[in-house]
Amino acid sequence: MPVRVVDTATPSSQPSPGQETNSVHPSPPSCSLLSAGRCFAGTQNVSSLQKDEAWKVNVRIHGCDLEQGYLCGTMEALNVPLADTPVVTFWEGEIVDAKNYTFFTGKWEASPEDDIRHWSKFPSFTPLLSQVETDGGKSLDLSNYPHIFMRWKEQYFVNVGVDCGLTIAGFYYVCFSCSDGSISGFYYDPSSSPFQKLELKCTNEKNSGFTFSSYELQ
Amino acid sequence: MPATASGGARPEEAAAAAAASASAPGPSCMGTRPEELAARLAASGPAAPGAGRGGSGAGAGGEESEHERVRALREIKNQIIGNRTKKLLYLRLGAVPAVVAALAEPGASPAALVQAAAAAGSFACSVDDGARAVLAAGAVGHLTRLLAHHDEKVVDASARALRMIYQSKLAPKFDVNNGKNMDFILSLLNSESENVTELAATIISHSCENSSEQLSLCSAGVPQKLVSLFGGSMNLRDACLDSVTAVIRNNREVASRFASTDHGKGFRSVVGLIHDRSPRTRLLACLCLIALGHASPCHFQDKQIKTKLIMVLLELIEEPGQVGDEAPLALTTLMKDSLELQKQALTTSAVEKLSNHLLANSLESRRAVTILLALSELCSKLEESRSQLMSVEASTLILEALKHDWADIRVAACSCLKNISRSPKVLSGGRLSCDTVIGPLVQLLQDSSTSVQVAALGAICNIAVNLTPRKSVLLHSGVVSQLVHLSKSMDPTLRLKSVWALRNIMFLLSPKDKDFIVKELTLSTLSSLICDSEHFVQEQTLALVHNLVDGYVDSANYVIGEDGMVIDAIARQLNNASAPGVCIQGMFVLANIAAGNEMNKEAVMNVLLPHRADRVRPSFVVNFLQSKDKQLRVATLWCLLNLIYPKCEASSGRVVRLQNAGVILQVKSMINDPCLDCKLRVRMVLEHCVDNADDCFM
Repeated sequence: MPVRVVDTATPSSQPSPGQETNSVHPSPPSCSLLSAGRCFAGTQNVSSLQKDEAWKVNVRIHGCDLEQGYLCGTMEALNVPLADTPVVTFWEGEIVDAKNYTFFTGKWEASPEDDIRHWSKFPSFTPLLSQVETDGGKSLDLSNYPHIFMRWKEQYFVNVGVDCGLTIAGFYYVCFSCSDGSISGFYYDPSSSPFQKLELKCTNEKNSGFTFSSYELQ
Repeated sequence: MPATASGGARPEEAAAAAAASASAPGPSCMGTRPEELAARLAASGPAAPGAGRGGSGAGAGGEESEHERVRALREIKNQIIGNRTKKLLYLRLGAVPAVVAALAEPGASPAALVQAAAAAGSFACSVDDGARAVLAAGAVGHLTRLLAHHDEKVVDASARALRMIYQSKLAPKFDVNNGKNMDFILSLLNSESENVTELAATIISHSCENSSEQLSLCSAGVPQKLVSLFGGSMNLRDACLDSVTAVIRNNREVASRFASTDHGKGFRSVVGLIHDRSPRTRLLACLCLIALGHASPCHFQDKQIKTKLIMVLLELIEEPGQVGDEAPLALTTLMKDSLELQKQALTTSAVEKLSNHLLANSLESRRAVTILLALSELCSKLEESRSQLMSVEASTLILEALKHDWADIRVAACSCLKNISRSPKVLSGGRLSCDTVIGPLVQLLQDSSTSVQVAALGAICNIAVNLTPRKSVLLHSGVVSQLVHLSKSMDPTLRLKSVWALRNIMFLLSPKDKDFIVKELTLSTLSSLICDSEHFVQEQTLALVHNLVDGYVDSANYVIGEDGMVIDAIARQLNNASAPGVCIQGMFVLANIAAGNEMNKEAVMNVLLPHRADRVRPSFVVNFLQSKDKQLRVATLWCLLNLIYPKCEASSGRVVRLQNAGVILQVKSMINDPCLDCKLRVRMVLEHCVDNADDCFM
């Protein structure tokens, strides 16, 4: 989700290679609630010292490739003060699987300390902390862990121009619960308010059950 | 090589002609009309019926006749070399049996044998009818016998002729598993004549087809012998490289033995040849290493060599003729299914270089086809390649290629679009979902070539996912009626891909557009496709139905209404324990319907636990929960969860029915399922059971 531009927002650094490790690791658990087409709804808290504010947010997963540690989707912010319409952004995600990506971001102006500070906000991260401090979590087996940790980075605005007064320079630390499909996240951008919290729940239409859709590429 | 209007001589054909001419100099003083020449040749030999002459062409009184035959043979040979029209004319005149008869004659002079061999080889070169006639006349046997002739020129001419014959796909295979044949091949390889050793290499390339033949050749030390011949002439080296490739292709054991014998000497020799002066040798060396890498990946892990291969092949695209045409194909084979190699190719600017060649050359060429296929492969996995290709002018040329007269170009262009659109990122951008792309692709669904239709369906299938809000654009292109038409085809591939495309269009489509598709498709066709003879078609059809029902509760009426035609078809497939993919998609259909209202949930219950007089047969649900396929277990658990969700009286009733049928007991036994997703859904089901049934359960 975009946030308002504060002062001179520094552009995010380009993704750099070097996240890959050579060791063989099992993929993170496949979760039927984290699949293409799935929708999530909730809020992002954008409070600062001056004001208390939360924007409604909808997220839809467009693609998920556990083997490559990749997922992508769109994020729609509904009541953005400076925008006339909901603002939609396209984001790409890195799944922390100790194979393709570790807990250390290594880019986007995030130091290992920033990483640990943000990951530590998730209660489900606590059991992993000591190992992550040692090696970024490279040696962890997350294949049976009921939470999936990710980084979501917005890539472009879908329905507004770049001159809309909003920035997508930062990225989200995300924790997904395989159990109920709930998502927690913290937005990180050195130029924005710290620890803006994203809270999303899996939407199930009309509360009478969970439905599924899928596509398959050739 | 000067080419005639009728084609031009292939190098080996011209070389054979030159050698034969050197052996029988002298101008011809006879008539040169084909009819006259053919008649004279027939009259000069014993093969001519009614000629009234004996078989000793070189005997007393026959010297003049033999001389005339040599002249006739030489003249025919000179006329047919590189001239397809003349070859066909002489074939009609029946010249081939007379030429081959000259080879069979015990008393034929070396000069006649040399000319006859050269002519026979030339007839077989590049013309199938010629090869057929030469083979039918028994030339292979005669020429093989002549390899033992005392005259070197006859031996060389025979070897060259046999090479040309063995380059035809019509030539018989040489069974190297036969001991005598193997001895014969080895004797040829040990010959001091390069023409003969080259023949041996050609026979091996032509005949080596299965792993037992490859193993026999390997055990006889043939690959090492071939490598030892790399130091010979360029033609010999090329023939040997091609032959080594034939011996190791797709055979792990042979490739592994070749790579490790003599501490990898053979392997290193081939690697050395990727820098040879001759472009053809470089290409053949690359193809040999590619074959080795595919057959035995563990022996070909050197990243530097792989990068060199990519660079050499990209350079070879600059070469004229067959080498430049085949180089992109070799690159495609090298990179196929390998993310690592595609990344390496990208770092050597492969997309840019291939695109530039495509722009510099006409689409009317084989090279354009092979370049498009290489670009397609480069885009099969890498987002960066896709984005590079879409940003260059070549992308416009790809669209042009969709409308090209040549089917191979249309197929290659479709393949490119399919792989560019094999990405949620591209599909979210929606750049391919425009009339300029979709229009020509939809046109191709009516193409006269099935391979073009299949290729177009592949591209449409991916583009149809369209993850933008403007998904309806596709429906206005007329694609749905075309796909519905193809879903009724007799060809299973067309049925599969058209239903697959409809399934992807249906993904997250608006209710109005979903209604449109169902009306075009009709429920009766949908039911037939669910019960199609091919389970892949059944699976895609059920995936289409589960996309239809998702997010649009009313659409469940299509499935459970209309006398239950569709749901009956689904129930039949599930009860028949079809392929796992079919069952998974079928259970997701039921899960989606079960997420609807009470009527929908009851309809699903009736499929799971029908009210039957005989309750002997257990529900398929229990079998699915016991399946080894975790996706099937997950889909079944979601269906059960939706049936007992939310907490209400009716849900409690369903819990009891499921419990009585032994389903809940099975779910309880899965509390420690090895699949985390299953384990979590099991917990959810059991929690809902407790909520619904309170103290009447557990």
